[in-house]
Amino acid sequence: MHKVRITLFLLMAAAILVLALIAGPRMINPLAMSATEREILLSIRLPRVAVALLMGMALGASGAILQGVLRNPLADPYILGISSGASLAAALGLLSGFYVFGRSSVPVSAFIGASLVSVLVGAFGWKRGGLWPERLLLAGIGLNFLFSAVLMLLMSLSSDEGLRRAVLWMFGDLSMADWTLIPSASIFIVIGLGIALFRSKALNALILGDEFAYSLGFAVQRERLILFAAMALMTSASVSLGGTIGFIGLLMPHIVRLLLGADSRLLVPASAIAGGAFLCFADLVGRSLMPPLELPSGTVTAVIGAPYFLYLLRKKDVLGV
Amino acid sequence: MKKLFIILSLVVGMSYSVSAAEPALLPTRIISLSPATTEILFALGAGDRIIGVTSFCDHPEEAKKKQKIGGLSNPSLEAIVALKPDLVVMTTDGNPQEVDERLRTMGLRTYVWTARKLAELPDGIRGLATAIGASAQGERMAGEIEKSINRTRYKVQSTKKMNVLYIVWPEPLLVAGPGTAIDDAIRLLGHVNVSAKAKTSYPRYSIEELIREAPEVVFIGKGSGMDMQAVSQGILKKLATVPAVRNNKVCYVSDSLYRLGPRVVQGIEELAACIK
Repeated sequence: MHKVRITLFLLMAAAILVLALIAGPRMINPLAMSATEREILLSIRLPRVAVALLMGMALGASGAILQGVLRNPLADPYILGISSGASLAAALGLLSGFYVFGRSSVPVSAFIGASLVSVLVGAFGWKRGGLWPERLLLAGIGLNFLFSAVLMLLMSLSSDEGLRRAVLWMFGDLSMADWTLIPSASIFIVIGLGIALFRSKALNALILGDEFAYSLGFAVQRERLILFAAMALMTSASVSLGGTIGFIGLLMPHIVRLLLGADSRLLVPASAIAGGAFLCFADLVGRSLMPPLELPSGTVTAVIGAPYFLYLLRKKDVLGV
Repeated sequence: MKKLFIILSLVVGMSYSVSAAEPALLPTRIISLSPATTEILFALGAGDRIIGVTSFCDHPEEAKKKQKIGGLSNPSLEAIVALKPDLVVMTTDGNPQEVDERLRTMGLRTYVWTARKLAELPDGIRGLATAIGASAQGERMAGEIEKSINRTRYKVQSTKKMNVLYIVWPEPLLVAGPGTAIDDAIRLLGHVNVSAKAKTSYPRYSIEELIREAPEVVFIGKGSGMDMQAVSQGILKKLATVPAVRNNKVCYVSDSLYRLGPRVVQGIEELAACIK
């Protein structure tokens, strides 16, 4: 039964990927393409699908890790202030004329901001030689409020149209996806995902409680730190790829849990795959629904995802972290 | 004694109503809540009567020296009232209607600018000019703009229709769609705005649809304080196969057409010079 479900799940993800490439405002038949269609497929859709897949994977896996590490079903990578810190860093970078990396400067400053915030959250969550879930969560929420407020302040004080528009980018935009950022971002995401997969047994133990994990022979604090770092790495890379896209980090792990169970060894990779496929699908809907207009993917994810989540919640009986 | 008091109060009342009506005819303390109306007021020669502008009002140069009363969507009511204006000029395109209502309940006089299309500009100017008691200047300015529009219309009758795209911001891609002065200007010049069928004024546009629409000329508008050449590298790379980019028909233009004001004539000329 489980194997059938997993196979179905993988097939669906693969089908969405293919569909995301050939469908759009107009269908493209890859076997008979005009020069224009080839151009659209190779330089617009392919990088876009790749970015959606990477971002969705990073967010889905990050959410699964973080909900386990913090033992809180409401945790997601953004609640810790990572995205607002990234947006703030991008805005500050633009204001101070940080243009060292050409047009990658905004993503690079977003990545730096996200990483710094992760370290900061970790530092505030650190006490008595380790990270503590409640401290991490509260520190993250506090920093999130602070950064969002400072960003709002900057935006309302600034009369710079350019800055306002550039920060629009932070609210989840995949339309400008191109190959330049994909290699470096995918390295971070693959490393983070790899760490999480190797540590998924420890994550299972952490969810059951520190004492339990300790009795099973896990170095609780070390495992928590490693998993937190893996999450931070993936989230930072995803923010730098396409800004902030909500819903996936918070609710995709829950959807996977309802469908496939709560074992982290399956939950982490499945949340990654489901997140990736789902963002590809949401982006496909966003660019195909009302052409030539584009709807921001960050909005579409929640509009499609939330009803499905609520439906599952009604239907199923279990919901555990 | 009582009679005298009544007469006295009548006289005082009358003189009060006269002094209240006087500035209504010729306002001397004007606040402008949008960059476009600020430019028009200056062009009408009312610059020295302006006492407050928004932080977006950066044209002409003297406007920057005026006291700032906040942004377009969030002007500070307190700052406006503190300046004791006798006329507040605002627009339906950017200022919240609530501000107008609040100002009027506080007894301040407002003038609401409603023109959004190029064709509405001359009459808009006449109306505003009358409100500030400068109808002669208004008539002259409106006439000049009308003349220039007619001249352009006459000139373009023989030109070949081209597909034109106007990029307002490259990432994420925002273009000038229908209902903007830019769209009006492109049509006035006898060309086709490729994004005219979009449903909003500044739509977030699909890049792949744009590649299919193959614009022959691309304009990139100036964003304040940004190096547009650097910011638009990415989008031009995406549009590399489009005729405009292939044939080097990409022009960076000023922000003249973003504001429906005295500089639109210059903005239209800029577009015309590039398409040629």
